[in-house]
Amino acid sequence: MNVLSIAIFEIKGHFRDKRTFVFMLAFPIVLILILGTALTNAFHNGISVGDMKLLYQNSASNPQLQTYWNGFANAIAGQGVELTPASPGTDGREAVKDNRYTAYAEIDDSGIRFYGSGRETIESNVIQGMLTAFADKYNLAAAAAKISPEAAQAIVVNAVAGGSFIRETSLDPDRKPGSIDYYAIAESTMIAFYACMSASNLIRAEVRRKTALRLAAAPVSKLEIFAGKVIGCTFTNFLCIVAVVLFSKYAFNANWGDHLGIVFLLLFTVVLLAVSFGLGLTYIFKGEAANSVMLIFVQIASLLGGAYFPIEDASGFFDRLTNLSPMRWANNALMNMIYNGDLKAAFPVIGLNAAIAAAFLAFVAVTLRKREAF
Amino acid sequence: MNVLEIRNLTKKFGDFIAVDNMNLSVREGEIFGFLGANGAGKSTTINMISSLLRITKGEIELLGRNIVKESKFAKMNIGIVPQDLAIYEEMSAYENVSFFAGLYGLRGSLLKERTVEALDFVGLGDKHKALPKSFSGGMKRRLNIACAIAHRPKLIIMDEPTVGIDPQSRNYILNSVRMLNRMGCSIIYTSHYMEEVEEICTRIAIVDHGKIIAEGTKEQLKSIITDTKEIWIGVKKEDALDLEALKRISGIISVRLEEQTIKIVSKAEINNLNWIIQQLIKDQVEISSVEEQAPNLETVFLTLTGRNLRD
Repeated sequence: MNVLSIAIFEIKGHFRDKRTFVFMLAFPIVLILILGTALTNAFHNGISVGDMKLLYQNSASNPQLQTYWNGFANAIAGQGVELTPASPGTDGREAVKDNRYTAYAEIDDSGIRFYGSGRETIESNVIQGMLTAFADKYNLAAAAAKISPEAAQAIVVNAVAGGSFIRETSLDPDRKPGSIDYYAIAESTMIAFYACMSASNLIRAEVRRKTALRLAAAPVSKLEIFAGKVIGCTFTNFLCIVAVVLFSKYAFNANWGDHLGIVFLLLFTVVLLAVSFGLGLTYIFKGEAANSVMLIFVQIASLLGGAYFPIEDASGFFDRLTNLSPMRWANNALMNMIYNGDLKAAFPVIGLNAAIAAAFLAFVAVTLRKREAF
Repeated sequence: MNVLEIRNLTKKFGDFIAVDNMNLSVREGEIFGFLGANGAGKSTTINMISSLLRITKGEIELLGRNIVKESKFAKMNIGIVPQDLAIYEEMSAYENVSFFAGLYGLRGSLLKERTVEALDFVGLGDKHKALPKSFSGGMKRRLNIACAIAHRPKLIIMDEPTVGIDPQSRNYILNSVRMLNRMGCSIIYTSHYMEEVEEICTRIAIVDHGKIIAEGTKEQLKSIITDTKEIWIGVKKEDALDLEALKRISGIISVRLEEQTIKIVSKAEINNLNWIIQQLIKDQVEISSVEEQAPNLETVFLTLTGRNLRD
């Protein structure tokens, strides 16, 4: 009962403190918004294709080629390519150089000559691909016509009707995080780990404001006080993380996947790990040294964990270094869960976090028992 | 019956002996003054009584029961008013008292009743919703007391409860101490204000270098020092005053200057006033008054410890 009273009192105290709202709620939400918006391009999955304007000069006399070309022109016009026949005396290459057209094609009985824009390379490559497909189909149809005119006709009709000069394919862009998605995860785990800062103050604040003396004089064991404070601190920080996750999900449309329960369980173990780590450090290092060590560790772990920018393709020593960051474990597990549907990725991290937290808490509990005061 | 019995109590911090084989008893219904200069061992003793520090040697009994063996019983029956304010500024007065009282096992309506009672007792009943950060120093001190009494302890330890507050709040607190005493609480009271101790304490112990060097009623303590006298000399211009020269005069035990008054403790049997006056004239100090004081606790303390209580 005393543990519960102390935990509730701790939670009340945290929520009365404006710093809790600023640091644990406003700060991560603003970070998600700023980093997610500022680094949108770094996470963009597609490439936008601008207007495609093809200038062409058709001087072919072969009626079959003329027919095929007209069919092709209609087909690609339907797909957004603007075709313009070159007027006599027009230098098509100059027109492309001047960026008035994306590409210039000369069609005659001997074949197609293509000049693409050096500026709009994507658009010119798309048109080149279409023309290459057309040339291949025409060559195939021409070769078939020598043997079976019906087969040749079928090839041309199918090619034009299907509009399949370029086939759209996708690398499953929906299964990759956008910037907001990424930073929602990264900042949530970072702030979850920042719980170590408030944990470092759990006992020290009592000593500083002298209430430790009153607590110690009360008929409550140190372990009850310790347990109540740890529960209160963990719960407060976890509630803040839940708020951040839900806010990012509904206000920013961040993707948190379909298994929020396991996401929250994993984040809870990150908070528990952070709280126990923060407490542990205050009993390993004396005075302000603990805070300094913790601040340095959290900053480096945030950096290596990808809180400020994604760490991808890390290898060798750097890869091993990044794996020391608890935020990296959590982020990878969350990414795997959300984007690969790999729920099993969460459980080793949950287990590891809980085990490390238990070790730190046991260390603090034993140290506390040995000490005369707090 | 003794509420508190301390026998051969010793506390060591490494090689340093903070409390040295101390023996002490506090009787039921007493306001017991516990005096000592800084570092005398007073706080260490209080912390051992409150179970905040472990005992190196000896034993403490509260209401006849060993406080180490029956720690929970001891804690349930002790209320502690620490010298430093031990309250949560971000919690209301009610929440502060209720939280600490809850740690003593009070629950539900009883907890509410006792919380309100304690706040009313210290005159903060109408401020129960207010946060301590909006309180004056005196109000915070009173809340500090309320947090210690809601569980109705048999023994209350008050460590400098009136430090840094206005005279009105001090009077309120002193009256509260008397009232608590009338309600059946025994009180251990420490203060640097000798006049407070003289005013409210029924028995007093003086501790120095971890030992009790004197114990008894005010009158008993004053009777110890019949061999000394205290002379107060009011001065107007003390710029050229040579205190060291005064100390060298035969029979003088101590000399101090407090707000244009030279306070001299001297052996009673030596008549040295004329030598003192001569020295002051020699120093060209303008004398405004000369009076011999009846012995008070301050004199007793100074004589016994060689130190001022505020040293």
